[in-house]
Amino acid sequence: MELNVLFHKEKNKLKVIIEGEVDTFTAPKLRDQLDTIEINPHVFIELELSQVVYMDSTGLGVIVAIYKKVTRQNGNLKLVGLSNRLKRLFAITGLSELMNIEADVKVV
Amino acid sequence: MNDKLEVTINTEWDIITARQIVRETAKSIGFDTVDQARIVTAFSEIAKNIIMYAHVGFIKIDIIKSEVNKGISITAIDNGPGIVDIKSVLDESNPKGLGAGIPGVRRLMDTLEIESNIGKGTKVHMEKWLR
Amino acid sequence: MKQLLIDYKQILSEYITNREEQTLYNGQNYVRQLIQKNVAPEDLVNIHRKAVADIYSDLPETLSHAYDFLIEVMVQFGLKTREHQSLLIQKEELRIEMEIAARIQNILLKTAIPEFNKLDIGMISKPIRKMNGDYVQFIHHEQNYLSVAVADVVGKGVPAALCMSMLKNGLETLEYGNYDPSYILHVLNRIIEKSVDDGMFVSAFYGRYDIEKGVLTYSSAGHEPALYFSSKFGSYVDLESKGLLLGVMPEVKYPQFNIKLEENDFIMIVTDGVTEIRDCDVIEARSLLKEIAFSLRHLSAQEMCEKIYAELQRIQDYNLNDDFTIVILKK
Repeated sequence: MELNVLFHKEKNKLKVIIEGEVDTFTAPKLRDQLDTIEINPHVFIELELSQVVYMDSTGLGVIVAIYKKVTRQNGNLKLVGLSNRLKRLFAITGLSELMNIEADVKVV
Repeated sequence: MNDKLEVTINTEWDIITARQIVRETAKSIGFDTVDQARIVTAFSEIAKNIIMYAHVGFIKIDIIKSEVNKGISITAIDNGPGIVDIKSVLDESNPKGLGAGIPGVRRLMDTLEIESNIGKGTKVHMEKWLR
Repeated sequence: MKQLLIDYKQILSEYITNREEQTLYNGQNYVRQLIQKNVAPEDLVNIHRKAVADIYSDLPETLSHAYDFLIEVMVQFGLKTREHQSLLIQKEELRIEMEIAARIQNILLKTAIPEFNKLDIGMISKPIRKMNGDYVQFIHHEQNYLSVAVADVVGKGVPAALCMSMLKNGLETLEYGNYDPSYILHVLNRIIEKSVDDGMFVSAFYGRYDIEKGVLTYSSAGHEPALYFSSKFGSYVDLESKGLLLGVMPEVKYPQFNIKLEENDFIMIVTDGVTEIRDCDVIEARSLLKEIAFSLRHLSAQEMCEKIYAELQRIQDYNLNDDFTIVILKK
């Protein structure tokens, strides 16, 4: 399974669609892609995760890294489309209390 | 034959044309078949590096003379990214990136020197003398 | 070079006439001279060409071109072979370095399983690569308390191992204070947050068991919930605890909870390498784990750990893809 990252610009929002598996092997690719985003206080980034079929802790590390980077610059980051599995991962790690995660989860 | 020749390296075709010139020059100086092959191979490796890392560059081929001997010198100049750590590309135990072929190339020639400025380019100068 | 040619020509012409094993053996010995004189493969081809030309005076010119071609190819082949060999040498050097680092890590992270008659303790920790990204530490202090820390550093290999040393030092500094688990995680978080880069974090479970009272006080930092098995009810409880991963934010409060263990109850602390089975939901994986542990509950804590590991390995065709750690505390 491959990993695909698509960028979609909507008005003042940058939508990042992540598809596939985010694991030890693909996480560096995701990190490189996210590193290309120019972050400033006005940026609003939405990570669309409904097509993510698997994410391990290395993948989670990439999400935490972008969260820290955006927050430091007073920008905004939102995660949407989390599967139940991902929702649990973010809940257990305490990250759902910290990050802006779309409340109603779409059933995929 | 001219003592000085200059070729621009831009594509693999340029390498092939230039190889011919290098071989003819080496032959005219008096190098035997084996040394001709070594000189051409060394030239080829350096030219391939130019295409791979700097995309374009030029190479000067000179006949060099001392009081008692003759030889060939090849100087490759590009305006590419440059080499950060020259010591490591010359180190045989550290064959990374551009350095991969360099220690081997140096063994084919008598001398090989690298000058590099980050962001400005690289100059590789090598010589081989008749035995 | 001249002498080499003379010797070669002699051996070659001998062989052409007699085709004897002895001559081939002489040829092998000739190679020793080549090595001593640092002769390149293309030089040998040239020696052969000259010897052949001397032996057969009527050699066609085209054959000479064929040798030219071989020499040309040989130069490139020698160049590439050497490059490849130096890569192999470099790889071997790295392997040796990793081997040494892994040995040091083993010594560094070794934790002795304390023995009590009032609590049976078992542990298994298997790295997926050379270096372990999971860490377990037992601390027995003031006679009445046993503390256990189980941590999982994100990622694997060397970066995880470096982060782990920091964690171990932090834990050891705090060791003798007999602090509350929530305080310990609070301090560890501060240490780690300051010194790791953005994508790095650690999940940890910290429990302190009061041996006399049979009460476990625990706190968790983003760790996979530990499992509590009640012998009386014959069922499990997930020890949920909402605490953020270590290393994400500078100031974090970690809540702590108490649980009283009765006779034959056990606590099972695992890392996500145990519950993350590919193509299997985490909930399903946890149910599976619960079932396996339930069927082994009559065994000692150590035997339980080993049998669970063996069973989960078998189910996944001996192809686990993460560091694997289980600690069992059984009353």
